[in-house]
Amino acid sequence: MRGGAEDGRHGRQPAGRVVPVYAVTGGRTRSAGADLPVEALVTVTDAGRWAENLHLEYRTILQLAAAPVSIVELGAVLQVPVGVARVLVGDLADAGYVAVHRPQVTADGTPGPEILERLLEGLRARSV
Amino acid sequence: MRDRSELYPLKILVAGGFGVGKTTLVRALSEIEPLLTEQQMTETSVGVDDTRAVPDKRTTTVAMDFGRITVDDSLILYLFGTPGQSRFWFMWDELSRGSVGALVLVDLRRVDECFPAIDYFENRRIPYVIGVNTFPGANDHDEEAVRDALALSPETPVQWIDAREASSGIALLVRLVEHALSRTAPVPT
Ligand SMILES: Nc1nc2c(ncn2[C@@H]2O[C@H](COP(=O)(O)OP(=O)(O)O)[C@@H](O)[C@H]2O)c(=O)[nH]1
Ligand SMILES: [Mg+2]
Repeated sequence: MRGGAEDGRHGRQPAGRVVPVYAVTGGRTRSAGADLPVEALVTVTDAGRWAENLHLEYRTILQLAAAPVSIVELGAVLQVPVGVARVLVGDLADAGYVAVHRPQVTADGTPGPEILERLLEGLRARSV
Repeated sequence: MRDRSELYPLKILVAGGFGVGKTTLVRALSEIEPLLTEQQMTETSVGVDDTRAVPDKRTTTVAMDFGRITVDDSLILYLFGTPGQSRFWFMWDELSRGSVGALVLVDLRRVDECFPAIDYFENRRIPYVIGVNTFPGANDHDEEAVRDALALSPETPVQWIDAREASSGIALLVRLVEHALSRTAPVPT
């Protein structure tokens, strides 16, 4: 299903497309997105807001990323495995259309106490 | 990033045996739909031995619950309901990396089903709390009996919950974050 749709869109968009579509065709192994954790947050940049001639998946991501949205949410909305969402986001990050916000962890690989304190405060505020 | 304040994604795993209330809890707490993601896995990575019949790695997908709580302007918490069977441990490895910790849900009628989860988090020193889901009969047992049955260390929090109630789930999350914080605090000498 994907192959055919992809080819069709390719034909209609000969020029002006900045972001490659290796991801959906499976041709790419390395990408800025390859090692992104599923909870990494994505936000659209000014350049991304004005981007034109992008394929549907990329446009959808840029729209959703008007507010912070994670890789795993993007995968669910696009109905693609999270690995594909990761690569699509990597493509957009390479093009400067999105910023990616990774989890902040301390030397032992866990969230630091300041972040945990804020999380605790926020959760307690909800429990009343 | 210059155009907005720093953003911090966080995640917590929701583990336990089949039918213990993971999906229920994630749904009760999440502010978003849809709540399912697909995780791709190569069968060789999960130790399925019939892959030997096929030269290439075969890929299958597992559905996984997730939910989101926007804690404040810059903190966004994701909850992942992780399938309990050990053949999904490769998913747990990815999801537990950098996580706050885990909620381990228990159905007291089938306690042994949570043992793999408890062992997993113990072995990796990942903070976790026990949520005893209030299925029929759950209130017939006291905390000491549950601690014994699960062979818990004294510092592991245990709390009775109703996975259908958001307030109950939030209380369990609070317990987990307190527990995780107590472990990051410097040990007095
Ligand atoms: N009585 C009661 N039933 C629950 C509770 N949590 C879940 N259930 C029910 O138990 C069943 C299995 O729950 P589910 O969330 O699908 O379990 P999962 O396999 O761990 O995702 C569902 O029918 C739920 O409605 C609870 O706290 N109390
Ligand atoms: Mg479930």
